[in-house]
Amino acid sequence: MNGKNKMKQGHHLLTALALALSMAAVNPAGAADQSQEDVAGHRLSLHGFGTLGLARSDDDDAQFVRDLSQPSGLTSRWSTKVDSMIGLQAGYRFNDKLEGVLQVVSRYHSEGNFSPEVSWAFLRYDPDPTASVRIGRLGTEFYMLADSRLVGYANLTVRPPPDYFGPLVLSYIDGIDGAKSVPVGNGLLRGKLFTGVSPEKMSLSDGLYWNMSGSLVVGGHLDYLTGPWQIRIGQTRVRFDKDLPINEYTGLDITGQVPEMSVVGKWTRYDSLGVVYDNSPFQLQLMLSRIDQGSAAFEDSRAGYAIASYRTGNVTPFLGYSRTKSDANHFNSTPPLEQATAAFLSASTHSDQHTWFLGARWDLRKDLDLKAQVDWVRGSPGSVFPFRAETPSWDGHMTVFSLALDYVF
Amino acid sequence: MSITTTLLLTLCLILLPRARAEADLVVVVNARNGIERLTLDSVINIFMGRYRQLPSGIPAQPVDQPDGRPEKARFYRLLVNKDLAEINAYWARLIFSGRTSPPYQAKSTAEILDRLARQPGAIAYIERNQADPRVRIVLELEH
Repeated sequence: MNGKNKMKQGHHLLTALALALSMAAVNPAGAADQSQEDVAGHRLSLHGFGTLGLARSDDDDAQFVRDLSQPSGLTSRWSTKVDSMIGLQAGYRFNDKLEGVLQVVSRYHSEGNFSPEVSWAFLRYDPDPTASVRIGRLGTEFYMLADSRLVGYANLTVRPPPDYFGPLVLSYIDGIDGAKSVPVGNGLLRGKLFTGVSPEKMSLSDGLYWNMSGSLVVGGHLDYLTGPWQIRIGQTRVRFDKDLPINEYTGLDITGQVPEMSVVGKWTRYDSLGVVYDNSPFQLQLMLSRIDQGSAAFEDSRAGYAIASYRTGNVTPFLGYSRTKSDANHFNSTPPLEQATAAFLSASTHSDQHTWFLGARWDLRKDLDLKAQVDWVRGSPGSVFPFRAETPSWDGHMTVFSLALDYVF
Repeated sequence: MSITTTLLLTLCLILLPRARAEADLVVVVNARNGIERLTLDSVINIFMGRYRQLPSGIPAQPVDQPDGRPEKARFYRLLVNKDLAEINAYWARLIFSGRTSPPYQAKSTAEILDRLARQPGAIAYIERNQADPRVRIVLELEH
């Protein structure tokens, strides 16, 4: 089956889900008998989340983005672009075991605008309270907390640390996942497996896109929760279906002459370890990851971050540190021009930097918080992958000032 | 009035409202569902949506006190040492990543007791003196 057919199939599934949900919305209680309705509580649920963000950097030599799905980022002028978003979610509970969920999010993304995207659209079946299967469009969970990284209100910092989450450009897949929980000792062991096909594209420089649709995603993770601890190991693999537009960009036959620059059919692997220690009012998050690229078009990288926070009343100050570093690829053989171009393109995915960030979350009232944060990015001048529109005078150093108002309803 | 009496009266005035507000919170289930005791860990798992199966195998259906009730804030303080803003943020993550739903929120204590009596899997928290013969206390929460 080719990518187009998979896409079409994905659209049919989404249409069916949207239809089911809208029918449910028109006729909330349906023909269900009244006692059933009472037992199940409210069948139709409507929720939303949003962030009004305001941020700027002190540097016009590179643009700071939240993640690499954003085609442009912050300059030294205040902007609401990178962090502002709104999401709406409808859920319909058919019975105790079956639920449908549709979520639409508007944020600044690869199209260079805020056009809404269907970020979740699935049917969830829980055969019993310890297991669940979901089918449809699912948010990706390459790393711990990654599937809720757009929900500012659920998170402590203004945005998930870009050194760590920035390279995650796949936000959702059309596929299936399954999860199971088992008590082990005094704790709980949770496992999850997922697979699907990406319908997304990534924006590159100069208005070029990388069509990632048809990429196969397979992954899973194991969580152990005991007392204040939650520990997770996970792995996700992605097999890209289409090459980067590097031949079009350069006018050279790069993928032909330097085959290691082709990403098609090669697996990229994301390994991660996450630890959360949550002993209120103190909380610590620690995450480590390694990205092992299947091709030389991208550099292999390692990243990590730690955030410590201490809640005092309605205010939670936090301090964090994140780090990312990638390894240069070396090219030998092949014609010199193509080789030099491949080396140049590969180096444009280089990162070598760390960031200190300090800030506070203030819970203003139920369902509303205000955050302020400063990020000090310190890297080498060659650390360009996490940014957009670097100039030759980029020195790897930048300070970012951010404010965010997050809400849920 | 002697100084001692005045002191005692003052003490009573300070302690009485406190004793009223800090009445014991107990976790209760349907009296006929066969469960005698639950551990703190299993109550945490049920109310935080991590593992909602009772030892008897039937699905647990947690019920929250209405918003704004002091019992609700005290319960989560005693259970996981979190205030309601943190609990809210916790549920925002789970709701918007399409996982578990938060406990059903009752409109009154009468509704809580009614659910406990009608649903075999219902589990809730109330003040000890609100417990009636239809429910069984399975965990006492210490201050």
